[in-house]
Amino acid sequence: MALDEALMDSTDSTIILRIYGWNPSCVSIGYFQSINDINLKKCQQERVDVVRRMTGGGAVFHESELTYSIITKKYSQNILESYKLICNVITSALKKLGIDGQFIPLNDIVVNGKKVCGNAQTRKKNTLLQQGTILLKVNAEKMFSLLNVPQEKIADKEISDVKERVMGINRKFDEVADSLKQSACEIFNSGLYDSQLTKEEMELSEKLSLEKYSSEKWNFRR
Amino acid sequence: MRNSSSVYKSKKLVQISLSYDEENHEIHSIKITGDFFLYPEDRLELLETNLIGVKVDRNILRKKIEESLIDSQTFGFDSKSLTEAIMQCI
Repeated sequence: MALDEALMDSTDSTIILRIYGWNPSCVSIGYFQSINDINLKKCQQERVDVVRRMTGGGAVFHESELTYSIITKKYSQNILESYKLICNVITSALKKLGIDGQFIPLNDIVVNGKKVCGNAQTRKKNTLLQQGTILLKVNAEKMFSLLNVPQEKIADKEISDVKERVMGINRKFDEVADSLKQSACEIFNSGLYDSQLTKEEMELSEKLSLEKYSSEKWNFRR
Repeated sequence: MRNSSSVYKSKKLVQISLSYDEENHEIHSIKITGDFFLYPEDRLELLETNLIGVKVDRNILRKKIEESLIDSQTFGFDSKSLTEAIMQCI
């Protein structure tokens, strides 16, 4: 979270694609969510970290998944259009893996009606950040033991249990990452090069990590 | 003073924690949470502040919400559904 914010602060005209995983596992909560949407006691028991995102949307359990961030100064002011463009990178990457993913506005990608990928955006200082996660495998029992999801969440869906709402794509992290990189190059019509973090980015990231994303003031703000 | 809460399903979930004056029918404090999206994000704090002291009345609430969210974009709820979420607390 801290690194995403630091990169938002430092990026120039380059589009950044950051691909990462989590160790230890973590539950990230949306900017507008109540901390009570997470079962904090269970997270503590399972040694699962908790952090609030700077993006909206719902709580996500980060384990057995690939997380990505796309940071760019070139984006449509139309929010739906900007989600559509970036989610197109994901559906294209899934297609390369033989998976037919469908973008469901505003922020989901589903396969056979089940969510495999969620996305959330923020825009600050003329920079867009879209964070997203592709589920590789799902331990639904564990996931939903860590999240307090009201039954109202699925009131309009043809399922009786939130656990039926999600699925993993059952692919390896590296093959999904490669596919994502290829698709990003194609959709953004751009080359790709690996980049090291600058000293300033690392320092800002560490500062944000300590002072913001580890703080109760931030994580328990709602 | 009475405290109340509601969970309202619009396109996204909207949860309201409300404290209101039963005699004057005015909002004393309100917290709006959920998995929705709002751009710019800090508009939610402004909305919560603007709702303090507002009469718990559908028309008045909706007008105040619309005024507070002008020039912002919401996804997952709108002024009508947010009004209903608040009214559910009463």
